[in-house]
Amino acid sequence: MESLDGTDWDVLIVGTGLSQSLLATALSRSGKKILHIDKNDYYGGSEAAFSLQEAEGWSRSVAKDGSSSTTFANVSIHQPEGSETDLTKLLSSRAYSLSLSPQLIYTRSRILPILVSSKVHRQLEFLAVGAWWVYTPGNSAEKLSGNSSQSRSGTAVGHGALNKVPSGREDIFAAQDLDMKAKRSLIKFLRFIGEYEEQGEVWEAHSQAPFSTFLSEQFRIPVALHASLLALTLSSLDADHTTTEFALPRIARHLRSIGSLGPGFGSVIPKWGGLSEVCQVGCRAGAVGGAVYVLGNGLAGPVIDEHPSDGATTETATSSDHLMVVLKDGESVKTRWIAGSRTPQPTEPQICSKSITIVSSSIEALFPPIAEGAPKPAGAVVFFPSGSLVPPDEEDAAPTLSSVYVFVHSSDTGECPANQSILYASVALAGDKAVNLLDKAVQSLLSSVNAQPQPAILWSLRYEQRSQLTQRSQLTQRQENLASTRTASLDQQILVFPPTSLDLAFDDSVLDQVKGVWRTIVGDEGGDFMVFEDREGAGADDEGGEL
Amino acid sequence: MADSGATSAPKPSSSVKLVLLGEAAVGKSSLVMRFVNNDFQENKEPTIGAAFLTQKCNLPTRTIKFEIWDTAGQERFASLAPMYYRNAQAALVVYDITKASSLQKAQHWVAELQRQASPGIVIALVGNKFDLASANPASDTSTGGDDADATATAEEEEDVDGESDARKVPTKTAKAYADEEALLFFETSAKTGLNVAEVFTAIANAIPETSLKGPRGVGGQTNLGRQEDSARVNLTGANVQGPKEGCAC
Repeated sequence: MESLDGTDWDVLIVGTGLSQSLLATALSRSGKKILHIDKNDYYGGSEAAFSLQEAEGWSRSVAKDGSSSTTFANVSIHQPEGSETDLTKLLSSRAYSLSLSPQLIYTRSRILPILVSSKVHRQLEFLAVGAWWVYTPGNSAEKLSGNSSQSRSGTAVGHGALNKVPSGREDIFAAQDLDMKAKRSLIKFLRFIGEYEEQGEVWEAHSQAPFSTFLSEQFRIPVALHASLLALTLSSLDADHTTTEFALPRIARHLRSIGSLGPGFGSVIPKWGGLSEVCQVGCRAGAVGGAVYVLGNGLAGPVIDEHPSDGATTETATSSDHLMVVLKDGESVKTRWIAGSRTPQPTEPQICSKSITIVSSSIEALFPPIAEGAPKPAGAVVFFPSGSLVPPDEEDAAPTLSSVYVFVHSSDTGECPANQSILYASVALAGDKAVNLLDKAVQSLLSSVNAQPQPAILWSLRYEQRSQLTQRSQLTQRQENLASTRTASLDQQILVFPPTSLDLAFDDSVLDQVKGVWRTIVGDEGGDFMVFEDREGAGADDEGGEL
Repeated sequence: MADSGATSAPKPSSSVKLVLLGEAAVGKSSLVMRFVNNDFQENKEPTIGAAFLTQKCNLPTRTIKFEIWDTAGQERFASLAPMYYRNAQAALVVYDITKASSLQKAQHWVAELQRQASPGIVIALVGNKFDLASANPASDTSTGGDDADATATAEEEEDVDGESDARKVPTKTAKAYADEEALLFFETSAKTGLNVAEVFTAIANAIPETSLKGPRGVGGQTNLGRQEDSARVNLTGANVQGPKEGCAC
């Protein structure tokens, strides 16, 4: 490796997570001299995607880092002892690309037009998320008598059922299990949410009340239908703590997104491993712009995480406008700006547990066609409402009420081979309770889809992730983040992104943070954010469809 | 350049991500420029970081759209390679036939690709600067130049009259290695255009025509040809995707 210290860098970007990678793209035409480093030997940071082997390496390195990496903890890999045939179904390590960031991207998210205007979308493919399902636990006595022949899937629970969330008025009218009164109340609610902002009188009095209570009191929506609407909030809290104020904008976002990129679907996922792919493409754009990339080399000290009181600074001002920082390999680097992301502190209360499960079935039943003229769905969402998963230890005094989400990705995502699928499960809890709930959710999902032969778990990964949850309205959140970008900076020249959000949908506030940092670096002369011409030779050809 | 540029309507089309790897100044960018623009530039500046270009290749039964990632050969950009060969269906590993060390570097890249890239990746080993070999009037001037930032490619010296053969890597040696590792093998000249289109056509032909899902390699199979399938969401313009085959409607 040539030395990096002979250069006066304009910007040192630390880490290749999503914010930093988007920043690399934003700066790729700025003419700035950019050094982009990552302490890991892979791209993507908290948004990385792994082969099986890489996942094992990651699991070991998180265990080894222990205290220094507080984003992830308690990573463990499980390969169930199954029959010979099941085990042989797990293919070679690199046949998988397991995402640490399987977030949905709503089709109205501002990230999509930004990827298009910056021209990096040419290297990305997006796939539609189709059906949303709500799990209802079965009546165990009834199910055991009626359905016991084939169903010894390892749990003592009866089969639950997955019910599809109606995705629009047509669905509601067509639903056979709804009476006219329920249909009318639902339609009335949908009409309201279409312009809820203008109808403060309907909901503002309820803003801090549970959303469920609001649905019952204001719209007389039967309790049985609440879960379908709660599912659309992607709230990680239980029903009692999901407030009206939180739920309304998120349901509105969901419904308003449907149809904007094609009929019948409202969200997409990037192919090849979630947001990891966006990170890669962002860094590539940086590289094409001339940035130098160095993997396996980070900052030697806690320049970014450090609190002003800590004292032991590794950076010293060498001149009025350059900082000198030391990298892990001992090299000193001179740079005008440093941009990186803050690691969550161990005290940070926002934590969730996640699991990634490789399943020996394509689970076609979860991927019905979306609509006439719509792309084939590659993702599905399964919502397990509060209390729908019976705690495994029945004597548990306080039943676990957290809701669980499982994102199901088909092999069309390129994340697994054909005839398999990946389940990404998440719950806002830590510890054994969380592990049990996630396992229960996966088991319940597999036993309720009626796939023959019964889908088997081939491999699974569990971990805990710490960050900050978005539980406020988008707008306040955005303002707070902008403020924190500034105040968290030790110095005017150290620009800090907050930790990766745990939100299950892509959080647009990331874009505001990137834009803020970009603007600070390029100043007012920097032109429009992420609006670029195609580079020579890389343009659109005869495919059409360009606007 | 019989295989590029033309457009044809009804043939199935698939995108193939191709990455170029190799030591600095072996002529990676010149090969791409010959392929994409049918052009050659003396004294080309070294590639900084990377470049991205696209070009179509028309086969009798289908069209392959190459998405070409041209990487800088300098060591300081070595950390770039993993993000380029990730999900790549094809790799072109280039060495300079007038520089023995460049073949060693190529062999390192091949080993890394075999270890890290998609299991079914199609790899072509290409010895460039054939115009400097004995069959051609060749320069006797320096072909070493280990300086990673060397801007002088050997092609620029070709016009100097000289008797000696600048070739340092015998065809037989490289061919034997390529056969052993099951690589496609060509000697090319970006300057004269020799074999350039052939390399890309050979790669296009080696990408299996398949509609298998799970575009990464499955077991020993290669099924990396990304189909322009019915699942892709169009981000630009009106949604032009009508129902197609493969849609389970």
